Parts: sequence; C-alpha cells; structure tokens
Amino acid sequence: MTVDALTPWPDTVEWRTVSPKLITVELIVRWSWTIILVAGLVVGLVLQGHWLWQLGIALVVLNAIWRSFVTVRAVRAWGYAERDQDLLVRHGLLVRRLSIVPYARMQFVDVTAGPLERAFGLATVQLHTAAAASDARIPGLPPAEASRLRDRLTTLGEDRAEGL
Amino acid sequence: MTAAGPPQPTAPPEAAVAEPRRRLHPLSPVLHGAKSIAVVVAALSWQTLSQVGLERFALVVLVIAVAVVVFSIFGWLTTGYQVVGRELRITDGVVWRRNRAIPLERLQAVELRRPLLAQLTGLAELRLEVIGGGKTEAPLAYLTVREAAALRQRLLALAGRTAQAQPTDQLETAAAPIAPALERALLRVRNRDLVVSQLLTPQAFFLPVGVAFVVLQFVMEGSWTFVGIASTVTAMAGVLLQPVRRVLQDWDFRLARDPEGRLVVRYGLLETRSQVVPLNRVQAVGATWPLLWRGQGWLHLRLDVAGYAGEGGGDSKRSDRLLPVGEFATARGLVWEVLPGVDLAALATSPPPRRARWLNPLALRSIGVGLTPEVLVTRWGLLTREMHLVPYARLQSVRVVQGPLQRRLGLATVYADTARGRSGQAKDRDLAEAYALAAELAVRARRARTPEPTP
Repeated sequence: MTVDALTPWPDTVEWRTVSPKLITVELIVRWSWTIILVAGLVVGLVLQGHWLWQLGIALVVLNAIWRSFVTVRAVRAWGYAERDQDLLVRHGLLVRRLSIVPYARMQFVDVTAGPLERAFGLATVQLHTAAAASDARIPGLPPAEASRLRDRLTTLGEDRAEGL
Repeated sequence: MTAAGPPQPTAPPEAAVAEPRRRLHPLSPVLHGAKSIAVVVAALSWQTLSQVGLERFALVVLVIAVAVVVFSIFGWLTTGYQVVGRELRITDGVVWRRNRAIPLERLQAVELRRPLLAQLTGLAELRLEVIGGGKTEAPLAYLTVREAAALRQRLLALAGRTAQAQPTDQLETAAAPIAPALERALLRVRNRDLVVSQLLTPQAFFLPVGVAFVVLQFVMEGSWTFVGIASTVTAMAGVLLQPVRRVLQDWDFRLARDPEGRLVVRYGLLETRSQVVPLNRVQAVGATWPLLWRGQGWLHLRLDVAGYAGEGGGDSKRSDRLLPVGEFATARGLVWEVLPGVDLAALATSPPPRRARWLNPLALRSIGVGLTPEVLVTRWGLLTREMHLVPYARLQSVRVVQGPLQRRLGLATVYADTARGRSGQAKDRDLAEAYALAAELAVRARRARTPEPTP
C-alpha cells in the first residue's frame, strides 16, 4: 500500500487548500529581501570592485529563483481539513508535517493579518493548545473563510471545553 | 489565563465569602534579604574579595542586603491574597501594581517549599502551578506553616470541586481542614540508596580525576594562595553540584496518597518540599534507567505536571520526582498507583522497520512504541534507556513529521504532545503505520476524554 505524505487518508478526509494568492505574498516578501540584499552587495561591488561581490550577487539571485519555485510548491502543499472532532493541518515540502488537533483541546484561536496579507485579502488562523509543540497554523485564508473557521473552532471548542 | 475557558459552572457567589485580604508573614522581607546575601556573594565572586579586602566586601554585601530588605518591606506592604469564590486573588508589585485572579479549577499542583531559613523561622512558601503560566504563578512567600498548609488544603478542596460537581457550602469546606493523619504512605526511599545512586553518576566518577589534576597543578606550581584554593574548590563544587544537590534535594523522599487520592510528595534536606498533585493532573510519567545504575537494577521515575514546563534552571530546580531512585518492583507499584491499569513490566513495544537502521545505526533495537489500553508507551536510548508513558486522556495534539531522509526511506515520526511540553515520540515508523498510529491515537484520545469529562 502506498501512502502519500501530502495527502494522508485521501478517501475519508476532504482536504482544503489555502488561497493561491499566498504565493504572490510570499514571492513579494522573498524578492523584497533579495532586492535589499542585492542592493547592499552592489554597494560593496561599486566601492571595492572585487569579483567575490559579483559571485555573491549571483548566488543570492539564484537562491531566490530556486526558493521561488519551492515557495509555489510549498504553498500548494499547505492543507487543512475539518473533521467532526479535530482539525487536521498539513504543510511542508522538505520536512512534511501533519498535525491533528482535537477541538476539545483548543485554548484559543488567533487570527492575524499583516499589512501585505491584508492588501491581498488574506489572513492567518492559528489554533493554540496547552502543548507548546502543537503546530496548527493555517496561512493564506480569505478573511471570510478565516472568520468562519475561527467561529466554528470557538463554537466547537466551547461545546467540548474542559479544564485540562 | 487564556480566553475560551470552560463556561463557569456556577457563578462564584461573591457575597458569600467576603473575607479580608490577608498579608504574608511579617518576617518575609527579612528572609528575602537574607536570601539575597547568598546571591550577592556569588555574584561578587572570590576575585572581588581578594581585591577589595574582607571589610569592604562585607560592607558591600551588607548594604545590598539591607537595600533588598527595605525594598521587600514595600513589597510586603503591597502584597495580599484572598480567596474569593473559586478564585485566589493576589495583589503585588511596588512600582507596577498587579492584580491577578487565579481560577482554581485550573490548579495543577500545589507545593509547599521551606528553604533552610524558613525552616528555622517556622515559615513556608506556597507555590501554585497553573497551566499557561510561563513560570510558577503566585509564589506566596512566606506564610507560617500552619497557615500555608491550611490554605493549601482549602485551595485543593476548592479546585477539586468540579471533579465531584457537588456544590457544598463554601464556608463549610473552609472550616474543615482535613487531618493529615489519614494519609496512606506509599513509599520511602532509603537515603543510603540515594547517596549510592548519586555516586554512580558520571560527575562522581570524574571527581578523583579532577582532584588529582588540581593537586598535581598546585604541587608543580607551588603557589598556595587562599583565593586560588577557594576558586578551585568553587569550580570543583560546580562540577559536583548536580549530584550533591540531588542528594540534598531528594533526601528523605516520601510518597503518600492523601484521603482524596491525591499524590503527596515530600523530600529535601536543606530545603524541604511538599507537593500535592491530584492524579488527574499527571500529564505523563517518564522512566529512566541510567547506564551506571544497571548493576543495581535501579531506575528513576519522573512525573510530568503541566505548569512546571516554563521553569528554568534545568532538572534540579523542578519538582517532578516520582521516584528519585528505586528498584523495578517499587517503580512498578508506583506506576500502577499513578496510572491505574498500567503495568510497567507488561509494556510491549515494537521496534521500527529494519530500514530505519540507516538513521539509527546503533540504537535501533532500543527504540520502540506500543499502545496499551490506557497509555502510549515510547522507548528510546541505548546506554541510558528511557521510557515515556502518556495517558490518552492527556493528549493535546498528534503530529506526524517526515524529514527529507525519512522520506527517502519511507519513514515518519509520530509525536504525541502533552501540556507539559515533552512529547511522546514514536521515531521512524513506516509511513503507513505512522498515519495509522496517528489516527488511532486521535481516536483513543477522544474516547478517553468523552466518557467522563476530566476536569
């Protein structure tokens, strides 16, 4: 039996993907940093003119190009699914992670949106449990979906709430 | 605390318990000052002593200690506590006033600590462990022993109320402290065993080598200054600190069950600690078989209680002992006591598939995971064998993680997270098995939670 690490239990779980607009956001962030870094290196090149600076620029740009491809795939790899008792979140390409967080264990839900995310109409939902290691973060959700998810999580959490 | 807490079962009747705000014991500032002397001396070090001379050194220390006492007096004046309904309210802070209410249903464990000076003056520090706090919430330092013990009984009684869900009269519980005579003793660790066990540590083995080295150095150089010797002794003490501290801390280790079935742990020589842990607050139990203890067949049991997670200072500062040292039969009995139905001798684990040897060339045989009806068992370690037991009812979340190397081999690791932070870890399982295990854990955790909602 073959199991795909990206989509466990494909027949019983309906996986949802995050918004493809997240790719744009991540690419903008990545390329902004690349441009800043390259600008610094160019200043060094102009001032000193050593060939190592050129090598550095080439490496940074190549890295950024390669990471851009990775980003596209990584965003497509994010997925979440709501089952009746727990939330499943999977992400990661190099290191693949799947988290199963029962609603009953939820302590609080964070909905955050940075300026760039807001500009593209995205938000991040993060579920916190009492265990610090729990890792249930879903980026790149449209605000409507984010608030729907938040409301659903809090309702379900309240239904099943307990001390610890 | 965080939002999304449980809905208040019954609104705490504020008017019913209009008790006055209480102060800590008046001697507390003095004790804080005395405690600071040790810290100051350590901070100034021997080097400073040799540079400034004894009188000025003593003067500096004294001035700082007095300053701390004065500051502590202000702190004492502003600190107060009171029990309101099912909350403990604590006010403190000199510059930044802080008013905190601790919901008692979130209480994980209560500890009564008595450092040496507190023992001499008949005082005690009461520490409450609440989940979510980065550190121990609200250490009430200091109260008289009677006051502290009574407060502890009262807090625990209030905290345990949800479990039975019987709203008795507030004042009645407060007025009826439970006699400690009804405790059922479980075990007492012999001090001889404790000392021997700490001699069988790498640090203790290092001692003769270290002493020989230092003596040799002095003989060769022929310089016997006071500061030199004192510094060396301090450095040696630093190495030896852990075993010595363990002996001092775990001295006269006693374990008992109180009438309500809570676990009462008492230990310590210079600083005595007495800790009460309700059994449903035990997040996990860990067992360790250190290499050097194999001859005796000894092991060490650790109790994971949520709330101690953030406390720094490493292993020795935390109060997480269940058994500092003991034989297998003792440990087996204890585990049965803490996690009913779990037999330490009958915990079968299965190793990961053979191809995982590429990732664990030596330790493959020692890794394993097993499911019993009550707990998830994980096992690892070649020289120091370790075992971690997580009851399903305490699982917070389940994770499956697959690294790049594991992907090549078709393996994955399953983590079972508890509120303590230390996760049960099933390393390098076959991918299909890992997902099956994760699904099974989620189902079992749900089943363990639902029949009777644990408080």
